[in-house]
Amino acid sequence: MIRMQRHPQSIKMKIAAFFKKNYLILLQIIGFFVLWQVIIVAFNIREYIIPSPLAVFTVLFNPEASAAYQWGKQIAATLTEIACGFAISAVLGILIAVVISWSRLIRSLVMPLLVFFNSIPKIAMAPLFLIWFGYGIIPNAMIAILIAFFPVIINTAAGMNAVDQDLLDLVNYLHGTRWQILIKIQFPNALPFIFSGLKISTTLCVVGAIIGEFIASDRGLGFVLMDSQALIDTPPMFAGLIVIAVLGLGLFGLVSFFERLLIPWQKTGV
Amino acid sequence: MKKIWYVLWVRNRTAVTLVGFLILWQLAVTVFRIQEVFLPSPISALMHLFFRQPDASYLWIKNISATLFEILIGFAVTIFLGIFIAIIVSWSQMSRKFFIPLFIFINSLPIVAIAPIILLWLGYGLYTNVLIAFLVSFFPMVMNTTTGLNSVDEDLLDLVRYHGAKKWQILVKIRFPNSLTYIFSGLKICSTLIVVGVIVGEFVASDKGLGYIIVNSQFTLDTPAIFAALILIAIIGLGLFGLVSFLEKLLMPWQKAANG
Repeated sequence: MIRMQRHPQSIKMKIAAFFKKNYLILLQIIGFFVLWQVIIVAFNIREYIIPSPLAVFTVLFNPEASAAYQWGKQIAATLTEIACGFAISAVLGILIAVVISWSRLIRSLVMPLLVFFNSIPKIAMAPLFLIWFGYGIIPNAMIAILIAFFPVIINTAAGMNAVDQDLLDLVNYLHGTRWQILIKIQFPNALPFIFSGLKISTTLCVVGAIIGEFIASDRGLGFVLMDSQALIDTPPMFAGLIVIAVLGLGLFGLVSFFERLLIPWQKTGV
Repeated sequence: MKKIWYVLWVRNRTAVTLVGFLILWQLAVTVFRIQEVFLPSPISALMHLFFRQPDASYLWIKNISATLFEILIGFAVTIFLGIFIAIIVSWSQMSRKFFIPLFIFINSLPIVAIAPIILLWLGYGLYTNVLIAFLVSFFPMVMNTTTGLNSVDEDLLDLVRYHGAKKWQILVKIRFPNSLTYIFSGLKICSTLIVVGVIVGEFVASDKGLGYIIVNSQFTLDTPAIFAALILIAIIGLGLFGLVSFLEKLLMPWQKAANG
């Protein structure tokens, strides 16, 4: 607050500062699309193999062309699944990790099963999910959770256990209870690990929701992909992929933002 | 008598848990009389594995070794390339800003959607599957290693810089050892993802391997074979995870096992 009063910034200056800070990313994105367009034109690639970015953006932003695809509705559906999936897998993952690192018995009971289920490709289980859970937003969120919660568990558990032994000895000597050790030493120590796990699970969550929609749904970006794949209508397919990637980037940015907010002393740098 | 059970439990916790799980599964199928098409019992799945079926021969050994070979190559590629990329990414602010968004972009794309394009480029075979497996599993490796390389005690860095240490010395002697915990955590996540990646690759394009068996028996509605393949896949995943845990204990004996 104090800083803001000292340096009253106009919106213009803020925009300039934003560009100065993020010019590399912006250049990269623009360069990517320009390169894509040039390659398509130069090598005369046909649209059913890879569409040009212009065609893709027409499908996305041209009011007439985009009306047929109802992007708002599709994005809202996918976003709900991703948000629910991510929130639940974060909470569930951290909880399971705390329990696992709390007791050896529970760890040896739970860990093999977790690895077991995580090795199984969810796409192979897909028809079963359809039979068991039906279809809609909740089953898709569940698939997202199943795919995304494992990295959070592994990373959190690793962070909880990678505590300085001297510190533990000291606290044990001072009669710190196990609960206190967990809250005051293990958990803060695990924070960089947790955030790294959350970042991994953001993209997995996006993939999970989309895969859920591939299998069975009547809306969402995965549905758009499937639908346009069936019609060999590539522009909406690539538009869908771009929107999916933007959602992934956004969620990742959100986690990074919270990381900087909660552990400002840690320079994780990503 | 009690002691023998205790020793058995401690020595083979993983195996005991898994056998318990299989027994529960068998009980559930028998008690609720679930039809085989929905969920076969583990016994009928295992029968497919160990006894020749009258109507189809699955050549388990050949398919298992094909999948295992792909998994091992994919895992090796992911480890080396993942750590290498992480070092490049964490080397400077500039490369970080350039690469990380790109990786998030690639990783947000569902691999099942891109797999046909990769197939178009590389054709059938080993390379396609390894590439798909790499694309599925490189991200945790890169993220974890980068975080580990960067979350170094700032005081230590100041001290070493004061003594005139070079950047690569800091990397080799401080950053890399510091990131080992993160690397192994990443490897554990990778070990299951790589299995998933290889199987998905085999779904899309392959004429052998466990993924091929799954696709094939999906057509013939032979669910016991699917589950036999799934059990094998999970066992391979467990084995890889166990291998990583073992290496972790070997290379970082000072660290308590986090999730063995």
